[in-house]
Amino acid sequence: MLIFSVFKTLTDQTVSVELKNDLSITGTLKSVDQFLNIRLDNIKVQDEARHPHMMAVKNCFIRGSVVRYVQLPAEHVDTQLLEDATRRETAVQKR
Amino acid sequence: MSFFGFEQNNDLENEKRRFLEGGLSGAKQEDVAVYTWGEENYDGLGDALLEGGDELNDETFGATGDIGKDFDFSGTALPEHEKAAPSQSAHLPQTGQSQQQPSQPSQKASHLESPHSSQLDAIWGNKSPFSVLPRSNGSSRAVDQLATQSPKYTHKPASLNLGPDLHKGVHTLEEIEKEMLAAAAAQHRLQQQQQQQQQQQQADEHSLQRELQQLQLQEQMLHQQHQPASPNLLQSPTRAHAQRPPVGIQHTATPPPRMHPHSQSPRFHQQQQQHQIHLLQMQQQQQQQQRQLLELQEQRERQQRQQLLQLQEQLKLEELERQQQQHRLQQQQLQEQQYIQNHLIHQRGISPALSDLHHRGLSPAMGERARRVGRQSPAVMTPQVPLDVPFAQNMQYLPQNIQMQQRLLAEMAQAEFLSTMQGPGHSERDAREARELQEMLRVEAMRKIMEAERMEEKRKRKLDKIAHMSRYNDLMTQSDKDFITRIQVSQLVTQDPYADDFYAQVYGAILRSRMGIATSEDRVLRFGSGGGVGLGLGQKVPGRRQSAMQRMEAQVERIVNNARLREKEKTSLNNLQGALGRTSGRSYKAAPRQLLQVDTSNASTSPTTSHVTAAHISKADSTKQEGEGAAREAAKMGREALAVATEGLVRREPLTHRETLVKLEHLYDLVLDVEQRRRDQPPPEEVEEFEQWTTECNAIIDQIFDELMVSEPLETSKPHPFVSLITPIKGKKLLPRVARIFELQRMQVLLTLIVACFLQLDVVTQAPLLDTLEETREVKELEAQTQAFQNSVVQSILPVIAKAQMRLVVGLFGILLDECTIQTLVMTRPGIALLTLFFSRVEVLRHNVATGSEVEELPTPEEMQRWHMMYNLLFDMLRPHLQLLFPSVRLALQANTTFVNIPNADVMDQPVWQFLATLAVHANEEQQQALVTGLREIVLENVATATKGWGNDSEERRRLRLANVNIFLHALGLDSSQITL
Repeated sequence: MLIFSVFKTLTDQTVSVELKNDLSITGTLKSVDQFLNIRLDNIKVQDEARHPHMMAVKNCFIRGSVVRYVQLPAEHVDTQLLEDATRRETAVQKR
Repeated sequence: MSFFGFEQNNDLENEKRRFLEGGLSGAKQEDVAVYTWGEENYDGLGDALLEGGDELNDETFGATGDIGKDFDFSGTALPEHEKAAPSQSAHLPQTGQSQQQPSQPSQKASHLESPHSSQLDAIWGNKSPFSVLPRSNGSSRAVDQLATQSPKYTHKPASLNLGPDLHKGVHTLEEIEKEMLAAAAAQHRLQQQQQQQQQQQQADEHSLQRELQQLQLQEQMLHQQHQPASPNLLQSPTRAHAQRPPVGIQHTATPPPRMHPHSQSPRFHQQQQQHQIHLLQMQQQQQQQQRQLLELQEQRERQQRQQLLQLQEQLKLEELERQQQQHRLQQQQLQEQQYIQNHLIHQRGISPALSDLHHRGLSPAMGERARRVGRQSPAVMTPQVPLDVPFAQNMQYLPQNIQMQQRLLAEMAQAEFLSTMQGPGHSERDAREARELQEMLRVEAMRKIMEAERMEEKRKRKLDKIAHMSRYNDLMTQSDKDFITRIQVSQLVTQDPYADDFYAQVYGAILRSRMGIATSEDRVLRFGSGGGVGLGLGQKVPGRRQSAMQRMEAQVERIVNNARLREKEKTSLNNLQGALGRTSGRSYKAAPRQLLQVDTSNASTSPTTSHVTAAHISKADSTKQEGEGAAREAAKMGREALAVATEGLVRREPLTHRETLVKLEHLYDLVLDVEQRRRDQPPPEEVEEFEQWTTECNAIIDQIFDELMVSEPLETSKPHPFVSLITPIKGKKLLPRVARIFELQRMQVLLTLIVACFLQLDVVTQAPLLDTLEETREVKELEAQTQAFQNSVVQSILPVIAKAQMRLVVGLFGILLDECTIQTLVMTRPGIALLTLFFSRVEVLRHNVATGSEVEELPTPEEMQRWHMMYNLLFDMLRPHLQLLFPSVRLALQANTTFVNIPNADVMDQPVWQFLATLAVHANEEQQQALVTGLREIVLENVATATKGWGNDSEERRRLRLANVNIFLHALGLDSSQITL
């Protein structure tokens, strides 16, 4: 729930999603669900020359299980708060 | 039926009655058309009668010669001929129908019918094979038959020849007999003549007919073979009989048949067995009728098909023409456009004479075209337009726009023609210009039209696409969607929505407080049963969504409760009873699988004793510990024994990095706990709960204070455990939060400890590293640490110093006042910051003394005395290295350039200028003089570069530089503007 909670605060921010097939998609985060499925808008694929089929795609829905990394905008993430949230999460798990 | 006085219209009935009653007079009086075909007075006009379009008659109705007995309408008296009567009724509408068809055949048909009635006598004559019809034995035909039937059968000849005599009334038997004989002879002659005629006429046809008969017979045989069990065959001995279908039905169903030649020429077959022949003929007639009907239908169909084909051909031809036309039209248009362009070019570039020639050469053609276009009016739109008028018939099919363009072009051409007719006379140039303008306009107009069309097409395509896609619109209703949303939301329901959505909740709260929206409530949807859903940031709340939220809340709660119930049922003992296959114990909540499986139970054991667990945190640490472990342990034990013996002070090894981190994490947990407890603070009215809460909180806060190890003696270790704790960035960041929890007294202890251990701080000891222009990882790291220290630690001790009394300030200042310490301190940013804090606090206190405000405890004169003494000491220590306080100067020394060239120097120097300003405030005149002389060079350099704009500094940097200098100068009562260079 922690990461889901974090992503909830990041809607309408620009993120880069790196997929397990080495595709890297940058776009505006529209929504995330508990499976961390991601919906992106105004997407742009890194290294478009290698992925010409993605040039016409304007938005996409990414299944959470195929995501390798998500690059977050640092200015929109409260690291300390994130640490706290993580601590709480582990505290809950320990209990 | 005239019972009711109605004059019945049943003429046929009346006629019949009259006929039977010997109403010869009636028959005579009636103006019956008398046909004299084949009789002596027959003028042969019937043969000469030739009407147009008769060519196909033979094909349609067969040869004229053969006329069957079917048209023997007058022979109603004969019982077997009554069978033929229905055919009449069936026949009549048929002719009516056929008259609607191409008129010529039907005319011929009616023409053909007429002689049949006149040849009745032939049929009923002795020699006619038909006369045997009523008898089973045709050969035993006798004259008595004639006698019994003669009144009827002589009717016609009698009426023809003897009619008037009969009317006279007086005749002798002899006369009558003679006349009758004569009539019979005449009849005989007539018949013979007729026979001969017909024989001649029909000789070839007859043979054909016979062939046909044979063919038919063969067919019949074949047919019979195919249906051997037919009941007809059993009933009748002959094949013909067997083959004969029920006559009545046959007759009613058949249209007027073509006459069989045999029926008209009976004598030809006299030698044959007449009865059989007759039967055969009957049969043949019927078949003939069928055949004829088929042929007729075929014929009609063929004709229709032919007509259709003709029409189609015509259409095709027209279509072809049209295409050609369009092609020609397009070409013409193209040519015209080209022409227009050429024309323009010509008019511009080539001499008037030439262009005029060009004009004349083309204009007549255009005019002709225009005329032709003029002919395209709908009046000429007949389908069979000659080929040489190509446009006329096809104009209607042309698309509207082409028509329009055509018209436009025609107009244009006409105008041109007219203008050229005027000749190259007086105002040719004007005319040409006008034309040019017009043409331009027209071209423009056409272009616009085309564009509009294109746009229209595009729009249409778009609409089509939308329509195509909208097929799937509203496949799900709004309630369907809501239902799915609710199902999804129900997956997110948790027992503690705030904790599970902690990040978003707090982040949202911080964001809101930053934006100035004061909403303390959690953005959490709580349900009555204890569960809830975290809603995240949710900036956009109001409006329609509020009620939707409430509705959703209720429904989601129901879903969750139901799911919970189901879960409970599942966990009951019997849930697996009768279950086949795999039963998954997984809950509906699908959390991502955790890839890192850290054994938490192991981590909670003491890290100090467990070298193995420490190993993966810091390799350096572990190796060091491995090597020195035993010796250190021994030394430690010895020291502890010693310490107990002496003053009770336990000296310890400084905290390792890992220990620090573990302790910090524990501290964080405690702090979080406290923070959570403070959030859940019960109202003070509930005394018991409140007291319990307070004691619990205080216990935790005490624990935090202990674990921060602030109270440990300074000599416990070096660095002090607390300094170790605030070495990592997260340690530094913990301080502000701790400061919020601790009361002032604890904070003062903390402050004292920080000041006392100031030189042990990493940011102070490593500060000289920052005096470099290199951008190494260490420098960056240290920079980040220093930033964190300034933002967290200094910020958290600032309120403490701001409230500190003179005694405390003097005491802390005294700790720092040491030659070596000060020298190090003033070269570091934290040191400068700390000193600036002390100076400003003292200044505030001094100000309080001067104004006499009794806000706080005023500093005693002794304390002020001590302060001045310490200040003088400090000043003397600083005086030789005033310039070195500036990081830019230190950097310039290293880089062998002037400080002005150091990038970002002004930002780095700002805290120093502020420190010097506070220093200057406290300085006496002599000290101020020393400050000015010591910093003169730098001040002048700064002011010069700032005002005169040397180098390539930006406006902003110059302003900052001047502001820096002014901070210091203002403290001295001066300003940069007073400085003259």
